[in-house]
Amino acid sequence: MTADIEIRNVSKQFGAMSVLEDLSLSIKAREFIVFLGPSGCGKSTLLRMIAGLETVDSGEIAINDQRIDHLPPGKRGIAMVFQSYALYPHMTVRDNMAFGLENIGVSRQIIDARINEASRILEMPHLLERKPGQLSGGQRQRVAIGRAIVKEPKAFLFDEPLSNLDAALRTRTRIELAQLHQRLQSTMIFVTHDQVEAMTLADRIVVMNNRKIEQIGSPMEIYDRPATKFVAGFVGAPAMNFVDATLDRSGGNAKVKFADGIAVQTEIASNLLADGNYSFGIRSEDVRIVPAGQGDADGVVDVLERLGERTLIYARLGDGLQIVGSDVGNSRVAVGHKVGLAFDGKKSHLFSEAGRAWHAGEA
Amino acid sequence: MSIPAIKGRAFSDRVLLVLVILLSIVMIAPVLWVVGLSLKDNAELMADPNSVFHAPYTLKNYINTVGTSSVFIWVRNSIIVSGGLTLGTLILSSLAGYGFARLNFPGRHILFVIVLFGLAVPEQAVLVARHQIFSILKFHNTYPGLILPGLSASFGVFLMTQYFKAIPKELDEAAMLDNASRFRIFWKVLLPLTVPAQATLGIFTFLGAWNDYLWPLISATNKDMYTLTVGMASTQTNFAQSEGIGFLMAQAVFAGAPILIVYLFFQKYIVTAVSGAAVR
Repeated sequence: MTADIEIRNVSKQFGAMSVLEDLSLSIKAREFIVFLGPSGCGKSTLLRMIAGLETVDSGEIAINDQRIDHLPPGKRGIAMVFQSYALYPHMTVRDNMAFGLENIGVSRQIIDARINEASRILEMPHLLERKPGQLSGGQRQRVAIGRAIVKEPKAFLFDEPLSNLDAALRTRTRIELAQLHQRLQSTMIFVTHDQVEAMTLADRIVVMNNRKIEQIGSPMEIYDRPATKFVAGFVGAPAMNFVDATLDRSGGNAKVKFADGIAVQTEIASNLLADGNYSFGIRSEDVRIVPAGQGDADGVVDVLERLGERTLIYARLGDGLQIVGSDVGNSRVAVGHKVGLAFDGKKSHLFSEAGRAWHAGEA
Repeated sequence: MSIPAIKGRAFSDRVLLVLVILLSIVMIAPVLWVVGLSLKDNAELMADPNSVFHAPYTLKNYINTVGTSSVFIWVRNSIIVSGGLTLGTLILSSLAGYGFARLNFPGRHILFVIVLFGLAVPEQAVLVARHQIFSILKFHNTYPGLILPGLSASFGVFLMTQYFKAIPKELDEAAMLDNASRFRIFWKVLLPLTVPAQATLGIFTFLGAWNDYLWPLISATNKDMYTLTVGMASTQTNFAQSEGIGFLMAQAVFAGAPILIVYLFFQKYIVTAVSGAAVR
């Protein structure tokens, strides 16, 4: 069973505080959608509104063309995995999984069959008679997912379900979730503030900020062609470099000039741009480290981060601005060295003060 | 524990150990004293109170206590009153606590404050008015007459409210998504998690009701409606403090034994609740 989910012009307020403003979104059946954004952006509230745990102040939510925003949570045909797992502590794993089915009058035989199937998928038949207190964090996570699976819901909702796991387990569970999605082919909505989770799991990412959707797109669209400066800065680690710049539109492609006179040739068509102040944006992997004097700018190395396959170089320009560039894994650059920074104009971005974005290669 | 382990202990730990032992002696000594006195003949105790330290001992005082014709009726009354009061308090406090902790209804905060005010009103302040009301309603010398006043349990409502508040709301929400009704969420999900609080409230309520003397003395004037405390007191003569000390102590042991049994049964819940250990 799967579901198209339609969110139309939804708004939400808590008292005088607006949490979501006139938000619309279409989620296709079998899609894995990730709501990504910083704390307080409204992503969890939106998920809880779909679940029915928060009321909808205005607008509507529909599943398979049927409005559900007036229905109680249990009647919406969805299952949710909470950040805290929310397992019933006094019930065994089996009882936790059976509870929801018992409430809708499913026969014992079917309940047992579904529990056995879910526990087989999640490789946890040996845990069925244990109570949540006797399980590790990862096992509780599985049970929470199992409790959702047995209900055979139209859609799965995940509210930051990996946050309480350690780094290794989080990575493993992430992969298992992706496999689970492929196996179940259900609509899944996943809330996180972790961009790695978003990038690795999502068919499409919904980037949210400040009560609104900033951008909806595939992970690589979001990464390569961020719609706003916020998205560009939020997605990607380290964050995209931003430099305030003025434009030289005399050529076919715009050239940007930094405050200290450094000029960088972009591949963004001049005719797309109007006069004004812009932010020049470029990711660290698009800033090559070259010998001093051979790049677009020179800087002194502040910090090195060796990641194994590459080294991140934090270099300070003459005017004090820090730029992050990327060098090979066994880079011989050291802190205090003077290095050159070569900006790849084909990968550059420009952001207007109003927040609009232009990317290299855009027609 | 090995000797090096004991030697290795910090000095403060040893001081603490000595203090705990002393405190235990202070607590236990009176109980042993009462039991000792109860096993001695009244006349012998009058002649020499120190005779408690040596034989002969006798069960005569217990036989006299049990031999009092109405004592088993009083025990029955005390069980009905204490049990009824405990059950009623647990039911009402749980429902009210759940309501205050989880339901949004107009006037919730002011109502909770009013309930809390109940904690500040001593029983003696309302005794006369209550007596008159119960008299008009002809509740005196009935079980409801002995039970009902105790059901206005402000402390119980407060305790259960705080306990329900401490249970994560995600459990309610998970149950709502599991299509459980509000009552089913209360009954199957939340209430079982409050067992430690219920046990604590239950035992304190039971203890209070079992030991209560003032209200039963006023309300139960018919000998067959006496609770154990009132009944026992009624058997004392004017000079019981000097002439019948062994008998008095046997009564005390007799009255206290059920409480001890209840305490032993619920001990682990009380320790859990008092230490603040969570169920999660």
